[in-house]
Amino acid sequence: MFSLSLIEHTLRLPPHLLGLSLEKAVRHELEGLFLDKVIAKLGLCVSVYDIRSINGGFIFPGDGAPTYTVRCRLIMFRPFVGEIIDAKLKDYDENSLRLSLGFFDDICIPPHLLPTPSHFWPDPENRNRRRWVWEYQTDDENQTSGSMFAIDEIGATIRFKVQSISYPSIPLEQPNSSKPFAPMVVTGSIDNDGLGPLSWWE
Amino acid sequence: MKIIKANDGPLTNFEVLDYLRSRGASKEVAVTVAPSEYKVFEYLVETAACNQTREHVTDFVQKVKTYNLAKAEVLNIINIRPPLPVGIFTIVENCDARLGEAAAEELAEMVSETLPPPLAQPEIQDADQLDETIADGNPQPIADSDGEAA
Repeated sequence: MFSLSLIEHTLRLPPHLLGLSLEKAVRHELEGLFLDKVIAKLGLCVSVYDIRSINGGFIFPGDGAPTYTVRCRLIMFRPFVGEIIDAKLKDYDENSLRLSLGFFDDICIPPHLLPTPSHFWPDPENRNRRRWVWEYQTDDENQTSGSMFAIDEIGATIRFKVQSISYPSIPLEQPNSSKPFAPMVVTGSIDNDGLGPLSWWE
Repeated sequence: MKIIKANDGPLTNFEVLDYLRSRGASKEVAVTVAPSEYKVFEYLVETAACNQTREHVTDFVQKVKTYNLAKAEVLNIINIRPPLPVGIFTIVENCDARLGEAAAEELAEMVSETLPPPLAQPEIQDADQLDETIADGNPQPIADSDGEAA
């Protein structure tokens, strides 16, 4: 789920931080710049792991603050394809199931990656809502009906396999009513043994 | 910003949790780490990584070498800690061809022995302790049939 990435960045150290030791000040700046931000192809930055080198310290003419070239390693959240992750069900609709990890919310399971066959049927208890139901059919050919397993408990832990990660490019314009832009989207699948809500397999 | 090395090494959940703990994150007080780091800590503390130590993980990596699993599969197993064979089938690709049912069961048992269970287990332990205290109350014989005759 996590991996280290080595990056080099040139940053300007604001004068009000010069009272701290150089390493603390640089770390503070790096955290402000990278923490909780998505870097394309690298993933979501979780933490600054360590600082390998700090060079420079030159003050450019006309500027009041020193500029440093820093090499550091960041802990990135970047699941690999085929990884198994447990996440909580946040929301669902007819286009997808949305799962959340607490620190990362844009995990989406599209209908074609749900266990086959699954249906989006009206909830017998609550007429207004529809929910996803997996029809588990036994191998016996004579049996036409199978048992139904519903995926509808918000907050239940679901085990899924990472299918792909995409970094959609930032849209130039967005209508005001649409969902906030997700810079990193993880697509998952629960179409396999052992995947899906943990309550199915215990 | 320049990317020197995009992938400098994968990290297990345990290593990230260990790092956050060393920076001062804990369940009671969480002042020294940023809020986004604390959210990661909260997530990790509920997975199987919360009880693991470096010895457990290195021990497990040694023992699993005999099964010829891919690095990604070993990583998955350490992160998820499947105690049952069904979990092994999920993680290992082509499990039937490469491992077979017996080996998968062996592997699941080895996982349960080598890696500690996540925090959800304490209820079972309490029930065991309760059984022991009940068993200790052995009924004492009321009278000795060989008692001395009056």
